[in-house]
Amino acid sequence: MTATDPVEFGVGAACRIDVPAHSRKIAEIPVGLDPEGVGVDVARRLAYVACSRSDWVTVVDLERHEAIAQVPVGAEPIDLVFDAPTDRIFTADAHSDSVSVVDAETLQVAATIPVGAYPSGLAYDADARRLYVGNSLGGTMSVLDVDTLETVATVEAEIGAGAIELDRTRRLILCVNFIAASVTLVNADTNEPVGRLEVGTGACAVGVVPERGEAFVVNSVAGTVARIDLDEARVVEELRVGEAPVGLTVGPAHDRIYVSNRGAGTVSVLGVEDGVEWTQIPVGDGPGGVTVDPHDGRLLVANAGSGTLTIVEDLLAGRPPLPALEESSPLVGNPLPEFTLVDLRTGEKRTSREWAEKRYIINFFASW
Amino acid sequence: MIHIDIWEGSDPKPEVERFCEMWGLEGTVLLDETGDYARSLGVRGVPTNLVVDADGTVRAFGVSRLDELDRAIDDMLRR
Repeated sequence: MTATDPVEFGVGAACRIDVPAHSRKIAEIPVGLDPEGVGVDVARRLAYVACSRSDWVTVVDLERHEAIAQVPVGAEPIDLVFDAPTDRIFTADAHSDSVSVVDAETLQVAATIPVGAYPSGLAYDADARRLYVGNSLGGTMSVLDVDTLETVATVEAEIGAGAIELDRTRRLILCVNFIAASVTLVNADTNEPVGRLEVGTGACAVGVVPERGEAFVVNSVAGTVARIDLDEARVVEELRVGEAPVGLTVGPAHDRIYVSNRGAGTVSVLGVEDGVEWTQIPVGDGPGGVTVDPHDGRLLVANAGSGTLTIVEDLLAGRPPLPALEESSPLVGNPLPEFTLVDLRTGEKRTSREWAEKRYIINFFASW
Repeated sequence: MIHIDIWEGSDPKPEVERFCEMWGLEGTVLLDETGDYARSLGVRGVPTNLVVDADGTVRAFGVSRLDELDRAIDDMLRR
């Protein structure tokens, strides 16, 4: 092999792309167990992070890069929205079947709104004063009035209804149904379903670029992002990102989308026009919720595995001239290090020697 | 298949038991409560799959996509 021969990686050799020059980590801040949804209070320079296994919202000072308060809410808060006009934080509390409403000035729960079974996703139309709640086990979407806190409508979606986004130009709501692997399209003015799309397995996050007439849906099991033509209501392309993608947000210039890869500890930067993964930005372990701070354009990433919030800068002006090289794991081709771990069912310690001379797969997982 | 649970916080057993029952996860489930073993392997996300050959050699790392996992298993079986 010469220096100019192409390098070939075997299946399973690649683990992550790590090109430090494309990004700069500002801080990684401990926030609590299994952080997921993130909202930004631009005026106060705060981030609010829903920590689903801690049953609280952590308040993070974005200037000092530290957690300054924890606000107990309902059971298993997964998603979060901040409404500046009413100065309220809303959390979808999955195990409480409710939405908590927190006064951002006093950091006290001001109200609790019953919704459907296992609410896991929130979306927000600030102009129309609407909060949309995806009730995953109920297979419905609740429509709430942000000012009066009344339930305006309950819309039939499908099982696994969770992530929601709006095309404010077309007045169209996209409700992503994780288990049904579909998207329910709803008229935002009438709250009536108007269509349905099939997407990939494990559909769990969505973003919209209205000027292109496109939506992007993350398919976590398939490991892809579906590009959807909203005018034709069909999937036109599947885009490749990192391992086990779960979160998505659209960049402020609408030239790129950010996709958190729960399986890789990175955030993919995906070009909107070219559909190419420009780079993967290293963040914490098991990232999920991702949002952009409107104040400075920095990414805020909730890392469920490490229990942290990463603040990171995307330094790319556009698509880089060369594709980032994938690094292979140093483990591939080498002996598996031994382990001694407790068996869940028996409580006994088990070692890797039990599987000597056997072929097997190790699956690292988490229950969240 | 060996399932290893990580990153649950303190006292993972109830949550993991509930998860296994909900999803019908049978077979061997081990607890890496501190996450030390996963960290030593460079695991940065979940799910992360490793394919291990009969001589204890790691043949693939990552492979969370089903098609990639299938290919990694096929490659190992052809050795």
